[in-house]
Amino acid sequence: MTADSIQPRKTVDPVFRNSLRECVFLLLLWLACCLYTVTYCYLAGYLVHEPHPNATGPSIGKLVGPLTAFDRHPQSLTTPFGLGVPDWVFFGVIVPWVVAVVITVLYCLFFFVEDDLSGAGRAGENP
Amino acid sequence: MTETSPATIITFVAYIACVFVLAGLSHRLLATKSFLGEYFLGSRGLGSWALAFTFAATAASGGSFTGFPSLIYSYGWVLAFWIASYMVAGVCSMGVLGKRLNQVARKTGAITIPDVLRDRYDSTALALFATSTIIFFTVCNLIAQFKAGALIIEETFNLPADWGYSAGLIIFAVTVVFYTAYGGFRAVVWTDVLQGIVMVLGITLLLPVVLRQGGGMESINRKLRDRPPTLVTSVPGAYNDLVIQARGQLDTAGLIYRHPQRANAPLEIRWDPGVGAEQRFIEVFLATDGDGQPTTTGNDVKGAIEQHPRLGPRFRVSFPYDNNEIVTDRFGQSTERGATGIVGLDGARGTERFVFLRGDEVLFGPGRSARGEPFHPLGMAISFFFMWAITGMGQPGTMLRLMAFKDSRTLKRAILTVTGFYSMIYLPLVFILVAARVLIPELNAENSDKAMVLVATRVVGDMGLAYQILGAVLVAAPFAAVMSTVDSFLLMISSGLVRDIYQRTINPRVSDRTVKRASYATTVIVGILVTLLATRPPDFLQRIIVFTGSGFAATFLCPIMLGLYWKGMTRQGALSAMVGGFVVMVGFFLPTLFGGSRIDLLGFHPNLWGLIVSFGLGFLVSKRTGPAPAHLVDRYFYKLSSPQPSHSTEDGRQSRVGGSA
Repeated sequence: MTADSIQPRKTVDPVFRNSLRECVFLLLLWLACCLYTVTYCYLAGYLVHEPHPNATGPSIGKLVGPLTAFDRHPQSLTTPFGLGVPDWVFFGVIVPWVVAVVITVLYCLFFFVEDDLSGAGRAGENP
Repeated sequence: MTETSPATIITFVAYIACVFVLAGLSHRLLATKSFLGEYFLGSRGLGSWALAFTFAATAASGGSFTGFPSLIYSYGWVLAFWIASYMVAGVCSMGVLGKRLNQVARKTGAITIPDVLRDRYDSTALALFATSTIIFFTVCNLIAQFKAGALIIEETFNLPADWGYSAGLIIFAVTVVFYTAYGGFRAVVWTDVLQGIVMVLGITLLLPVVLRQGGGMESINRKLRDRPPTLVTSVPGAYNDLVIQARGQLDTAGLIYRHPQRANAPLEIRWDPGVGAEQRFIEVFLATDGDGQPTTTGNDVKGAIEQHPRLGPRFRVSFPYDNNEIVTDRFGQSTERGATGIVGLDGARGTERFVFLRGDEVLFGPGRSARGEPFHPLGMAISFFFMWAITGMGQPGTMLRLMAFKDSRTLKRAILTVTGFYSMIYLPLVFILVAARVLIPELNAENSDKAMVLVATRVVGDMGLAYQILGAVLVAAPFAAVMSTVDSFLLMISSGLVRDIYQRTINPRVSDRTVKRASYATTVIVGILVTLLATRPPDFLQRIIVFTGSGFAATFLCPIMLGLYWKGMTRQGALSAMVGGFVVMVGFFLPTLFGGSRIDLLGFHPNLWGLIVSFGLGFLVSKRTGPAPAHLVDRYFYKLSSPQPSHSTEDGRQSRVGGSA
């Protein structure tokens, strides 16, 4: 074995690997919240499901078809648990918000890896 | 109008003094450390509290306490849906990029976002484009933020309308530019912590007070629902707006101001009972002078409607909150100001149309503007879920903070703190401003930007000394939010000019002393320029803030995110992504410069299209121009361990240059 043949062994950077795993987890969390909240609030919380009047081309409201069956009547408003929060805001925003906070805590406690970031370099070292 | 109490003014001034003290302490620390790293990045030593508060306070800008409250005041509960992605914004905007960006920045010694791009893609062109884009969007944003700061001072100190804004602007500019230039990043972070605490404290204390004054949320909702249909006009010019309420059953869709398009026309009111209620409008043909310019005041319109035999019994006409004041002249004579201003109607445009809004409309989506347009249709709802959580990741101001924390544990604790911070700020704000609609009479669109400050100074200020002090803290909260964003943005422009353009591109051998002087000077000069631009500010701050935030994300998120996580991302791909995202954002907003509407293709906000185009181009162009240079891939994605007698890598690729670890 000569000096020329000796190469440093390369492994995937563990910070990159762990960060990528956490990144995927968080994007899935965002997607789940988005799907639930947008669907619930749009269907349960709107007086009218009219299309966007200023949309260029057909609006997304038109693409999903008429949803007039979901139009709310103003008198149908309830406020769960006497908190004074409209029902659609309570179940569409506040409940998933609480769930998301709980998941965030669990993520930080059990999923997040405390990687060592103290690689080479100091602030202001370049150029 | 209620006078601002001495307690409010003293507390407010004490807060400003605290900010100056922190700047002074930071400046002393600056003298003991490497200037550039300390001045622009705090020597990468932020702890979890500092990181959390500087991150959250920078994100919670003037928009959070002026634009956002204005929208809640105007559209009601649908803003809870509009802001809903903040449920994951903290964890996403810090967690997705934080650890990896911090590691990469340490590896290369980067202290700005253009630094990161320059090193990751080995491209000066990318860095220069990034710097130019940062300066462009940041200046736009700063104009809106300076307006917010000036409005807060004007309202807090009850400054007269004719010169109050200018005085507020100068006071705000001098304060924020001085402490930012003098103290640098560390001062900005320390004041962010102070400002973050003030924000949370202010909101937490304000919520129960407002709910109690409104009789509880149930009662507030009931009052909103039972309010008669109301129309609030908002046309160019001051003190000309009116509030029109239906006295009984509403049989009219709204009001149209019409320019008669001829000289010496008299004021004329038309209302046609022959058409259906949904098409029936009160048509006001404005009186004009010999040049065809309108001469009708709001008071004239009020009188004409009240004296109209059919309309008088149907409608009650009053003034928006800010017009409804008593003016005392120099002889001590007091008169109600009312709508003494000319109804400013552009003759070329010809008409302004307003509709009646039912009370219950603010309890549901989609919300309607005074001109009858739906506020939050489906395409916007989807777009705005991207806006705060995903777009939030792509902000250079917050990314910079992710390069400055100490270690992973700091990031983890900061994520938890920021998540709590956002929850304690944004949902309570919705409650407070929905209640404000009951507690403060109608505000027109122009003055609704003051809704939060009015709640803090008027609603709370009338309740005795203890509450006056609370009011002062509450006024400081929005002021703190504005300052915490402005200081960060000022530093970002300064770092772009001094570090990215001058030091790393033009003159790498520049002395520390010159860098120091240039940094101070650019911060001050940029502050002065923005102050001048903010003397003629745009309406609706939130629109500017949304434009710049979306522009940043469309330009920066793809090259940074894919650069950190995808080995195949090339220099050409990154440049295409940045240019594509930037062009889409500016192009889709361009019509607004010429009085038109923003382009909402398929009903989606340009923000979404900017991200789609940027990521699409980044991926496709990289695929076509790849693979990325091996030495960059090795440096950013691999770790070298002890020498092994082999030519091949773990994944079978060959490399030319080893990376650092």
